[in-house]
Amino acid sequence: MTTVLAICVTVIVTVSVYLMLSRELKSIAMGVFLLGHGANLSIIAMSGSPVLPGGGLRQPPILGDGILVDALPQALILTAIVINFAVMGFFLTLLVLTARNTGTLNLDELALEDPPVASPELEPTVDGGPGGGVGR
Amino acid sequence: MTGRSGRGSNNGAVVPVDPALVLAAIGAPVVAGTATLLLPRGRTSLRVLLATCGPLASLLFVGAHLRRYGVASNEEGTTAIAWVPSLNLDLGFLVDGLATFFALLIAGVGVLIVLYSRAYFGSDGPSLARFFPTLGLFTTAMLGVVLADHMLLTVLFWELTSISSFFLIGWDRDDEEAVKRATQAFVTTGLGGLSLLGGVLLLGDATGSWRWSGLVTGASDIGSGGTIVAAFILIFIGAASKSAQWPFHYWLPGAMLAPTPVSAYLHSATMVKAGVFLLGRLLPVFGLLSLWLPMVVAFGAVTMLLGAVLALQQHELKRMFAYATVSQLGLFVCMYGLGGATDGHGVSAIDWDLSQIASHALYKAPLFLVAGALAHRVGARRMSELFGLWRRRVPGARLPAVILLAAGYALAGGPGTVSFVAKELFFGSVRHAAGTRPLLVVVAVMAVMAAMCNVAIAVRLAATVFGWRTGVGDAAGASTHGAGHGNDRWGAVLWLPAAGLVLLQYVGGLVPTVWNSVFGRLEVNVNDEAFAGGLPWFWEPFLHPGVPLAMSMAAIVLGIALGCSALMRGQVDDVHDRIYPESYRLILRYGHRAFHRVQTGHLRHYLVLMFAMLLLSISWAAWIDPTMLRLPDGLAPFESLSGLMLGAVVCAAAIALPLVSERVVRVLVLGASGFAVVGLYLVYQAPDLALTQLMFEIISVILFLLVLRLLPRPDRRPRISPAPRLVLAVLVGLVVGWMTLLAGHAAEQRGEEVATLGEFFEEHSLHGSELTDGHGGGGRNIVNVILVDFRGFDTLGEITVLATAALGVWSMLPGRRRHRDGGFPRMVPGVGSPAGIDSLILRTAVQLVFPLTMLFAVYAALKGHDGPGGGFIAGLVTAVGLCTYRMAFGQRAFHRLLPIHPRWLVFVGLSVAAGVAALPLLLGQPLLRSGSATLSLGGEGLHLVSAMAFDLGVLLVVVGVAVGMIGRLGEELNW
Repeated sequence: MTTVLAICVTVIVTVSVYLMLSRELKSIAMGVFLLGHGANLSIIAMSGSPVLPGGGLRQPPILGDGILVDALPQALILTAIVINFAVMGFFLTLLVLTARNTGTLNLDELALEDPPVASPELEPTVDGGPGGGVGR
Repeated sequence: MTGRSGRGSNNGAVVPVDPALVLAAIGAPVVAGTATLLLPRGRTSLRVLLATCGPLASLLFVGAHLRRYGVASNEEGTTAIAWVPSLNLDLGFLVDGLATFFALLIAGVGVLIVLYSRAYFGSDGPSLARFFPTLGLFTTAMLGVVLADHMLLTVLFWELTSISSFFLIGWDRDDEEAVKRATQAFVTTGLGGLSLLGGVLLLGDATGSWRWSGLVTGASDIGSGGTIVAAFILIFIGAASKSAQWPFHYWLPGAMLAPTPVSAYLHSATMVKAGVFLLGRLLPVFGLLSLWLPMVVAFGAVTMLLGAVLALQQHELKRMFAYATVSQLGLFVCMYGLGGATDGHGVSAIDWDLSQIASHALYKAPLFLVAGALAHRVGARRMSELFGLWRRRVPGARLPAVILLAAGYALAGGPGTVSFVAKELFFGSVRHAAGTRPLLVVVAVMAVMAAMCNVAIAVRLAATVFGWRTGVGDAAGASTHGAGHGNDRWGAVLWLPAAGLVLLQYVGGLVPTVWNSVFGRLEVNVNDEAFAGGLPWFWEPFLHPGVPLAMSMAAIVLGIALGCSALMRGQVDDVHDRIYPESYRLILRYGHRAFHRVQTGHLRHYLVLMFAMLLLSISWAAWIDPTMLRLPDGLAPFESLSGLMLGAVVCAAAIALPLVSERVVRVLVLGASGFAVVGLYLVYQAPDLALTQLMFEIISVILFLLVLRLLPRPDRRPRISPAPRLVLAVLVGLVVGWMTLLAGHAAEQRGEEVATLGEFFEEHSLHGSELTDGHGGGGRNIVNVILVDFRGFDTLGEITVLATAALGVWSMLPGRRRHRDGGFPRMVPGVGSPAGIDSLILRTAVQLVFPLTMLFAVYAALKGHDGPGGGFIAGLVTAVGLCTYRMAFGQRAFHRLLPIHPRWLVFVGLSVAAGVAALPLLLGQPLLRSGSATLSLGGEGLHLVSAMAFDLGVLLVVVGVAVGMIGRLGEELNW
């Protein structure tokens, strides 16, 4: 079973890295969310295969009879999924705002629009950094 | 750290000293200074009196301490207030002779400075109101530096002196130059402080003793290893920067833009001596290092001569005195450096170091104070403007002039002052050390030259005041503008403190028994070698002439000649003044270039960099351990058919994602891969995960589809060449997949005897054991127990993150009402209507399903501790139900169903969770400890645990966040 997961992780990570390297923010967003799946699957692989060497199955991590699977990776992933949800909402809102304020989701155009820092004589100031705030 | 902590600490020793006295002495100035803020505006005199109480109280407390306990030797003088004993952290104080002396000096001069500043600032109420709290803070910090025993405490107070002195130097906030100089001083001494911190950390870690007292006791066995030497060098850099040693000395003359009371206090009497004090502390510790003598003496001697030469060529009184201070600080450092010259048994070649330091404070502070007084009375601080002052009959200027000359005489080290004897002693110790190290003759020559410059300065001061032709400048440039205020009843305070201090110089010089009775007691315990005698009568050197006297006389004769001659008369600029601005400029320029090199502003570049680092580090690991690359045996890819098929679906969906171009299809494909992952979780026997992921997928598909409507359509342009992208992606994917395979396989092959964290949770999920003091989680669902109990604090943080993300969304997309007033243009015209999607099938289905969804949510919430479910799942289920309801029936119906804003759910949820977490604290138990009870519910026993209330908070937060986010994005679409 671990082999299957490893292959899934390979494919998912490959696709998400490919997407994240694109120049369209929407594709990047999709890549990020897909990467979340890859990471979660990678973590659950740490609990070992649910299939026992004898052929039987381990039981879900709820106290009872039988050999249970490791509960810790599951708890970690549950946390990760929920955090993923928050990140997703925030990211998508940022996308909406970026599109509304700049009219584009193309990274190259965005980079042109907001050079990182002003001239060398100026000391770094609070509003010197790259930031497309709400008010723009 | 804990393992070695026993050696240096004072565990065994009886500690009779009461820390309260020390603490009161340290705290009094800042308390009194801050208290002046409470006084009404006009009451300047009252303000001054209150501020005086601070250092005065410190003086009395230290005096009381001295009376009660006498001068403690090293170990006996320690006292501590425990703070975190397990980390060996405490408020440790060391009140030995050195510390007592410095504390008395700081507090004593502090009192005079407070009074003087009243006269200096005049009745300028706001300025004084600001001044006293800052000065109090500085005095406290300085007292802390000298009284601290714990090394980190010293560093803490050390930094505090840097910070407070920054405020004091840049006192005139409108004077850009002053602020710049203040920054220069702060950065220089602050960097030195960092160096000190590094040295202290190294030293503490290497010796296991974090106390100066412990270090001194164990000084013989700290050895001279690389760490110790590095620690010493770092600490020396810290001390040198604070005490303005070459090449860091530039900040001190620069800091002369400070008000005169500050210059007199910080830059002559106290703060600049902190480094000297530290060297005095370190001498018993590091004195035996072979590096000590050459390094400390070299820096000290260079500073001594450089400062003196530069001081002679200044025309502005304060700058002149500043360089003279630099010179004198160099002498102190040199003196402590010579303390490392040993003759077989312990430390020698150092006598009466405290008298040296006191002597300097007693003439240099008056010089500064008088310079300020003259600036007030005459309106001038430049030598040329002061020319012929004596004959000019400026009202109230003669008295300061007399004090100026008296202090100048002490500066020159003329017979009859303490300064004279002190200089004799210094020459004596140089000669003593040079006896065994011939190279030190150079230092002796430098010392004579420095003394000569001091004499010349005194001669020129006198010539200027009396208007002799040998003085600097002439009366042509004299002016009396700005002469002025300070002539009210506080006017005398302009010169009284200076007079008092100078008087002590002569009292000590002429009647050394008085001096000895004060400082003699403190001196004895500084060095191991007890100095039995006292400061000699001033004629004694003449009765027993020797090399030191010859050096003194040579310095005086040559100095008078130099002072009268035309040599070194011009005003010179110190080349070191350019160090700071130049480095600042260079850092800015190259920092800017480097920044642009690294920060391209293109996300792709950052990502490529990160992924490349990942690949590199893994390759490196594989290079070291090639077994990593071997395919593990015993792989069973076909053991679960359902797993295999689901895996295929996941892979297919993922591969399809970049291939399809229609964006709605892409979202659906993304969802498909997510749903297949749900299946994989089921295969992995993770029902909680499967439920959570399922709900998450539903919500995220809805969210994504909503957002798509709000985004512009992508423009069709040539893609980035996919080949390099693909190669990098495949490499990263292979590496991560391979790691997964190895880790998963290792987990499978793990023997039974290997204890895992998971087993711990499994054993303690329901009942506790000795390991957990008998407290168990009280639940059967291990995953849920981990979330709300074992890792409950983590979960609390997590729902806080959720709430923050939701707040972010709400604040980035403010409500619709604001839009109407004058908000953003809509890129996408509204689709749908507030009445929801007009579909009979959907509405009927939702009407049926919605109650069931809610019922299931309640069940999941209640049974979550024992079976699949829990707050997260129940919350997501509720959110899905509410969202579908909203889709079917529209906003208005939804608002009838949930009449409050979702942020209230988040608020209440967070409060409940935090409250449940904190409740045990009130009962004296650890955070998040759970209690339990069983409730009979119609025959079915319901096991209630307090963690379930925590779970309820989680549920509310999740519902609020999910519904709130989707609702807000939906409103954007008018949906």
